[in-house]
Amino acid sequence: MTLDELLQRACVWRAGVGTPPVGGSLTSGYAALDGILPGGGWPRSGLTEILAATTGIGALRLVLPALARLSREGRWIIWVAPPHVPYSPALHGHGLDLTRVLVVELAEDEASTRMQTLWAYEQALRFADCGAALLWQDSISNPRLRRLQIAAAASSTWGLVFRPASCAAQPSPAPLRLEIEALNEPRSGAVAKASSLRVSVRKARGARAGLHCQLEL
Amino acid sequence: MPVALPLTTTLPMARPASLRPLDDAQPLTRPQPVTALWLHVHLPQLPLEVLTRGMAHARACVLVQGEGSRRKVVMVNTRAATLGIRTGMPLGAAHALGEIVELERNERAEQHALENLGLWAMQLTPLVSLVPPDGVLLEVRGSLRLFHGLDGLLARLRQGLKQLGYRGQYAVAPTPLAATLLARGTARSVVQDSHDLGRHLSSLPLEVLRLAPSEQAALDSIGVRTLGECRRLARADLARRLSPALLALFDRLYGQSPDPRVTMVAPSVFEAALELPWEVRDAQALVTAGQRLLLELQAYLRAHVAMTRHLHWRVRHGERYEQRFDIRLTHPARDHEHMLLLLRETLMRMTLRESVTSLELKVDELVHGGPTMGADLFGVRHHAQGEAYGSFVDRLRSRCGSQALRAMDLHSDHRPEVAWRWRENNEPVRRGGIKTLFSDGLNTRPVWLVKEPVTLSTQHGLPQFDGPLRLVPARERIDTGWWDERGLARDYFIAKTTRGSRLWVYKELDGEQRWRLHGVFE
Repeated sequence: MTLDELLQRACVWRAGVGTPPVGGSLTSGYAALDGILPGGGWPRSGLTEILAATTGIGALRLVLPALARLSREGRWIIWVAPPHVPYSPALHGHGLDLTRVLVVELAEDEASTRMQTLWAYEQALRFADCGAALLWQDSISNPRLRRLQIAAAASSTWGLVFRPASCAAQPSPAPLRLEIEALNEPRSGAVAKASSLRVSVRKARGARAGLHCQLEL
Repeated sequence: MPVALPLTTTLPMARPASLRPLDDAQPLTRPQPVTALWLHVHLPQLPLEVLTRGMAHARACVLVQGEGSRRKVVMVNTRAATLGIRTGMPLGAAHALGEIVELERNERAEQHALENLGLWAMQLTPLVSLVPPDGVLLEVRGSLRLFHGLDGLLARLRQGLKQLGYRGQYAVAPTPLAATLLARGTARSVVQDSHDLGRHLSSLPLEVLRLAPSEQAALDSIGVRTLGECRRLARADLARRLSPALLALFDRLYGQSPDPRVTMVAPSVFEAALELPWEVRDAQALVTAGQRLLLELQAYLRAHVAMTRHLHWRVRHGERYEQRFDIRLTHPARDHEHMLLLLRETLMRMTLRESVTSLELKVDELVHGGPTMGADLFGVRHHAQGEAYGSFVDRLRSRCGSQALRAMDLHSDHRPEVAWRWRENNEPVRRGGIKTLFSDGLNTRPVWLVKEPVTLSTQHGLPQFDGPLRLVPARERIDTGWWDERGLARDYFIAKTTRGSRLWVYKELDGEQRWRLHGVFE
């Protein structure tokens, strides 16, 4: 094996040189965010965890432009057990190809819903034509997350897991973990329509963690 | 006179191949005569195997015949044989040797199983004929190249029989009858040359002919025990002592007179059933039986160059009642592994109320055409566009229910809850027909819609959610819907919580004038 071949491998980390994600990266649509993501954009495969203190502060908006691009490439976008109904007029407005969007909803009364949800999510990750699979889940055991990460990496699917910020302390095998928090706006004056958001990289394999940026959504 | 040079061309090595004497160059001479080559598969244990092959775990089983106290063992499986149980033993004696399952012979099931085995064998050659009650005869000369020779074909046969749950013995011979007799007698003999036929057949016992009892007794009485001894008798003698039919049989056996066979034709509907002789209450155990049926289905579909998208299953619980279920595939398929996966998921979701006595599979809708093989010339599996999608959708629906996976659509309406809907199963995607009634799609509609609007508490006339909500001044009035039952009149606002979430809330313009939460922005 030559040195060049060795350096191509994802397991080799070179100080000062960020490892580009396997399969190329996907621009997030926000220049500031691209600046802090390893490889200059969202990964196209593997798990990405987004930790948010509360819902509705913009976690989904961060990824919608990338999801829209994936859907227009003909890849499936699969939402597994979303907390509310993904509102199709808004998704359409954000540029998603609705013919490439699937929603997995499991019956409420099912006793083993949580296991079913994770099973369904894993199936979505393994599905070769799936571009991104989205999951909302609070507690996932570490071995389970590792399993999901392997599944996502093997079939080049971007696995997006939305979890509460309280999970930030728990170690995770996901190669990329972001934490987002809403920035307080001045109490006085008119309420602005947009909101500002602080995104910080908690973990990035092959790149520096701790970078952060501010976005106006 | 010039000295004659040695003629190098006289050396055999240097001579062109076409000039070589015939016996010098073996590969070029004596082209193999294209004669038929017959393969007979004999299933000595068929009466027992049709009853037990659906079971996941083997038990000691015996086939019993006779009435009352004269019931005796007529066939034993391997497990029973290791207990010391032998054919012909009285049933009482067999019970004394260990715990056994008694089974009664089911000739209808045997016949059906033989037909399905014949169908299965159609993947080896199109020329399949049945030799009831326990044999299948194949003409394999034309298939040798496809399977890289006889060894490859026989390996495929052995593997297939094992998967289907049969123990078979087979023989190959240039005439159909010889193949049959050799398979019944000495298993696994392969005779390709008709000159060797006499030598192989002569030592076979006469029983393989399955003569009428009177004929068998007549031959016994003159001390004839083997085919060879029988053939040495004078023809006229044989015809006089026994029947001319026996002579004709010998002529067919040695290829001296033609022996045409009727090849079987695959029926237009696939039906197969597996008996489950002892209690099955566990869905997992049914999977084994299902796999055997699906392997037969796969062979049937191959024989038809067809695929299917609809499998009818029936689980019988004795005579009293049955459970039926269907497995539908998004894309027509033939591959048994995919179907098995779906069967397993479906069975896991089913509750078996009573023990199962048989499992049946029926397929009556065929989709003709399609790929004949799952893998291409180089053995690489190709997923056609949509094939991976189909298998993902099928798997999810069979485990989580048909409503678990849905697609979304838009609907041209100004009312938020009417502006979207689920797309029904198999409803075609309406491309280009999507219209929206609002211009600024990015910021006026939330990404999440709360299915049932939540009524918010108010303080000093202002809505509360995690503390007081702060409203963005712009309001959007959405009004009327008098043409159906879902009329509304609301003022929508974007509201911010103290923790930074953006919500979509509305105030009712009539009735109680409640504040309600209808969506979450991201």
